[in-house]
Amino acid sequence: MDVNVEREGVLWRKVFSKIKAKFSATPNAHQNRIRRQKAVVALLTHHLPFIKLALFLLGYLWMLSIPSTSLSTNTYIDENALQPAQVNTYWNWGDVHTADKYLEQLETLKLANATSFDRAQVLRKEFSKLGLSASTQEYSFSLSSGVTRGANAYAVISSPRGSGTEAMVVSASWVSLTGEGDGMLNLRGISTVLALAGFLKRYSLWAKDIVFVISDGYLDGMHAWLSAYHGSTQQNLVTEELKISSGVIWAALNIDYPGHSFSHLGIFFEGINGRLPNQDLLNSFERISRYTGGVPVTVYDHLHPQEDTMNKQGKTWIPSTIRNHQNVVSYAYHARNIVRHLNYQARGCASGVHGLFHQFRIDAITIFAVPSTGPHGFHAIGRVVESTLRTMNNLLERLHASFFFFILTGPERFIKIGGYLPSAILISVAMMFQGLGTWVDAAWVPDDSEESSQTKEKASNTPLKWRKRRRPVIPALLIMAATHIFGGSLFFILTRSWFMKNYQLLSPIIFIFFAIIPLLTLTISKPTSENAPLPTVLKALNLCFASTVISITAVLNFSLAVFFSVLLGVPLAITSSSSAAPTRALRYIAHILLGLGWLLIGQEEMKAAILNWEVLSVWFAPVICLLYVPLVLQASIVCILPSCS
Amino acid sequence: MWNIRYFLLVGLCVPTLAAIESFFEELSLRNLNDGKVASRFSFTTRLEGVSPRDPRTLGFDDEAQHYRVFPLALGQILREYGVSELHLTLNAGRWDYDRWGYPEEKGVGTGAELWAWMGDGAPMSIDNRWKGLRNALAGLFCASLGSMDELRTTAPSQAFPPEGRLPSVDLPHQLRHASLPSEHVCTENLTPFLKLLPCKSLSGIASLLNPHRLFDADWHGMGVHVLWGEEEGVEVRLAFQSVMDPLRYSLSMSRDWSFQSLFSRVINKTCPVAVSSRVTVALPQQDAIEIKPNPSIEGEAAFFDVATVAKPLNVGMHWQHNFQYPLGEPIPLTPLSVQRTLKGSSQDRGQLSLVIINHETTTVYARYLETMPWLVQFHLHTLQAQVKGITSGNIISNFTYVPAVPHSRPTTFEAMLSLPPRSTIHLTMDVTKAFLRYTEHQPDAQRGWDLPPAVITPVEPLNSRMYTAGLLVDLATPDFSMPYNVIIFTCSLMAFIFGSIFNLLTRKFVVVRLD
Repeated sequence: MDVNVEREGVLWRKVFSKIKAKFSATPNAHQNRIRRQKAVVALLTHHLPFIKLALFLLGYLWMLSIPSTSLSTNTYIDENALQPAQVNTYWNWGDVHTADKYLEQLETLKLANATSFDRAQVLRKEFSKLGLSASTQEYSFSLSSGVTRGANAYAVISSPRGSGTEAMVVSASWVSLTGEGDGMLNLRGISTVLALAGFLKRYSLWAKDIVFVISDGYLDGMHAWLSAYHGSTQQNLVTEELKISSGVIWAALNIDYPGHSFSHLGIFFEGINGRLPNQDLLNSFERISRYTGGVPVTVYDHLHPQEDTMNKQGKTWIPSTIRNHQNVVSYAYHARNIVRHLNYQARGCASGVHGLFHQFRIDAITIFAVPSTGPHGFHAIGRVVESTLRTMNNLLERLHASFFFFILTGPERFIKIGGYLPSAILISVAMMFQGLGTWVDAAWVPDDSEESSQTKEKASNTPLKWRKRRRPVIPALLIMAATHIFGGSLFFILTRSWFMKNYQLLSPIIFIFFAIIPLLTLTISKPTSENAPLPTVLKALNLCFASTVISITAVLNFSLAVFFSVLLGVPLAITSSSSAAPTRALRYIAHILLGLGWLLIGQEEMKAAILNWEVLSVWFAPVICLLYVPLVLQASIVCILPSCS
Repeated sequence: MWNIRYFLLVGLCVPTLAAIESFFEELSLRNLNDGKVASRFSFTTRLEGVSPRDPRTLGFDDEAQHYRVFPLALGQILREYGVSELHLTLNAGRWDYDRWGYPEEKGVGTGAELWAWMGDGAPMSIDNRWKGLRNALAGLFCASLGSMDELRTTAPSQAFPPEGRLPSVDLPHQLRHASLPSEHVCTENLTPFLKLLPCKSLSGIASLLNPHRLFDADWHGMGVHVLWGEEEGVEVRLAFQSVMDPLRYSLSMSRDWSFQSLFSRVINKTCPVAVSSRVTVALPQQDAIEIKPNPSIEGEAAFFDVATVAKPLNVGMHWQHNFQYPLGEPIPLTPLSVQRTLKGSSQDRGQLSLVIINHETTTVYARYLETMPWLVQFHLHTLQAQVKGITSGNIISNFTYVPAVPHSRPTTFEAMLSLPPRSTIHLTMDVTKAFLRYTEHQPDAQRGWDLPPAVITPVEPLNSRMYTAGLLVDLATPDFSMPYNVIIFTCSLMAFIFGSIFNLLTRKFVVVRLD
């Protein structure tokens, strides 16, 4: 026994001393550590092309796999207080009749071509008849494209026994969101709000004030109302002050019901500048609609292929076995939802009137009645809104439990932030590696000046001798700064009223002007063999900067980061200078088209972005002008500059 | 032996020493312009010939008190802390001055409000007595008055003058005021309130106090008011006000009401100890109405003497015509309309905005009082008064300002406003929202903080008081639902920054030559 114990003790001591030796600060250990570090770095540098390629591939594949069901999970209610679909609803056919009568009245208003102000007065009177405190608000936006005027009507149910410090909003805009406010009227949405106002007032269970807003136009009316409510000022906006105030708004439901009847209720949730509401609101509405209203829910107005009888065909060139395969169908459906989401979020556009609320920390969605021949109408939507308001009424705190960062792939499926964020980050890391690699490579040049003539054969089997050289950072940085100033001036020009008035004529001129100016760099750069070539250094810095931009954007607005990583990732990584002038010119033109092509083919989109910036302070236009265009211009300069040799 | 004899003697003397106690009850009802019915119950108990306890005797045992009708539990608290005048109100809802006019009981601020005048000169400090008083009342009324601590206690100089008289001129009296806007008022507060009444809710007018209907009203509030007058002695008035909406349940827009429809009860018995017990109904001027049973009418009001009228008493009013809501802008019933909001949606700064509309054709003078917890700190230099967009220098005058002390004292801001005739006055002031220590957050941190209402006191009519709506302020709030994530992130960051800096500072740099 004793011997055994002793032997074990010796063994332990040996192990300990070995470990100790590894970590003890002998000079040898330091050398070993430095050697180890060098070996690791060498390994990484040696495999850098493969690592970059792998990161790029992994990132793009991840992006493509976002619609697959394996990344998403079922939605759930996180806040226990909400208790969705747990109440009896009292909205009934009598109230449907009231809504129908309001609709008739609105139809006559529409036929009579009533002005905004007249409409607002009529709506205010209707609210007053119900015994609510009601008022109107006039506003006008002076924009580079002209002046927009309008009038909102709003009313407040003061909650019985409530302190009036919390409020919920039920709203409807005059113009529906169909086609992003292309003029379809939301008369049934407004009738629903009016009928709900009379109906909800009959109950004493409201713990929060309910504010009804009927906003003029599509987004402009609600923006004016919210700005006045929160006292935020904007230079080009003149609004009347609100005569009736209520408390802090916690949740808002916007009702959009353009058609005659509806088959599904769609959720629109993207806010301006990529903000999203708390997911609990969406999930509660989804459950309430399904269980209380008996109405199926979709994301946007996208029907699931199995329910979509109208549009069964799809792409006919795909074999039907693949086309109708369960996984393919669901992938395609999810992908459609995600692409729409990315489209809204990347442009920073609100997908409906609800999107204006998010900037004031109000959780809001639009309930969209997907136009159809049936079977649902006022009866279903009234019950769903009533029950959703009851759920929001239960809140003791703001919605905070569930997710603010998510991608809704289907009405009951979503992806958490951890499921989608890495894709953009991987691309950004790949670009950073590429940039750092280029930066390191720029410092070294094969030293063949002395012995090249003597031993040409020798050089092929012995390793090359490398010589260090200087990297001209200052010129590269100056070029980068200049491109950003260009971007700024481009943005300045685009937001002038003389430009917006003749944008179709002026855009091509601006394009040519901004495509030619970068060529000035040809005159200033004088390639020397002493220093590293300017294009290489510029490319390194350009890639590092673009990578930083993408990774920061990813946490603020994932869709914009995807947009950047697709449009900037590979194009910026493959830039290189060439000795042949035609190749350089071709690459230059390709990059210029990538960076500024929207001036030629996306003019309407540009106009909308500028308008969004002026009215709603959507950051998309400045981001494109001040970040995207300069980054691509830098890449194009990399292409056009001659390499030194 | 001597002691016992002494006590016996005192005991024998009591019936002769006992004060004259009298109890009056009254219910007044009036119809409001928007079809609602305001009712006010008032139960007054007088202890004649008695004055509040001299605070200088607080160190000694109190004289024995013998009450028959006067509420003992309240009387003991008043004597224990030497309170000369006390007002406690517990309200739910926002009083709509524009539509409802001035309330009969002035204290209508949302939530709980407590203010008391106490004589100085006691061995205990005023603040200690105030603390004891609010804790005792918290226990008596089942309300969280205990949290009206020094974070919320102020002593405004003008807005709350004593409503009765203050005894003994040679003693300086001090006011303590606190309000707790987040206090929810419900049936647990009504039960102890009813227990203070001599007939509880068994008979008399109090039998109409049916919690099921009162707490379904559009507005309700109860109040306890203790005053002293040289002739009246100590007077305790227990009041209950409510605003009910007969239209809410009516399909045909009929404003008809009766005791049965409002309270689901009728008066079956008279309270035997009540000296007077009467029901007053204000009669509407324009409309054709019918009132049952037959009242005695004096001026614009109908009266019922509960003691003499036939029981069960179910007063009711019937309108000839159905009601229609007024379509135009409502004609305000008070000379001033006040709207107070906190603008700005950021979590670090905002703007307090007060819009006052003077409907009168003459200049109205009013005192403006803000008692703000330190959570919202005023930038007094940004205080501006504008009329029609033009800054006017002579609207605000005569102000007193006690700035807040972070984590302890609230702000008290009082000013005299002279409001020009028929105009809208905008008062704005920039505020900073405080950044709290994480232990200072409430359990429901994401709700925000309720701020007390401001008080506007017009100089005319005398003793009127207007409470603005309360406010809710969002302060920067950590995500308390995931404290573990926050701790992990913060600690990792700290370890990374500290670790690398520490490493660089303590490392010995040597040149190592590799072969």
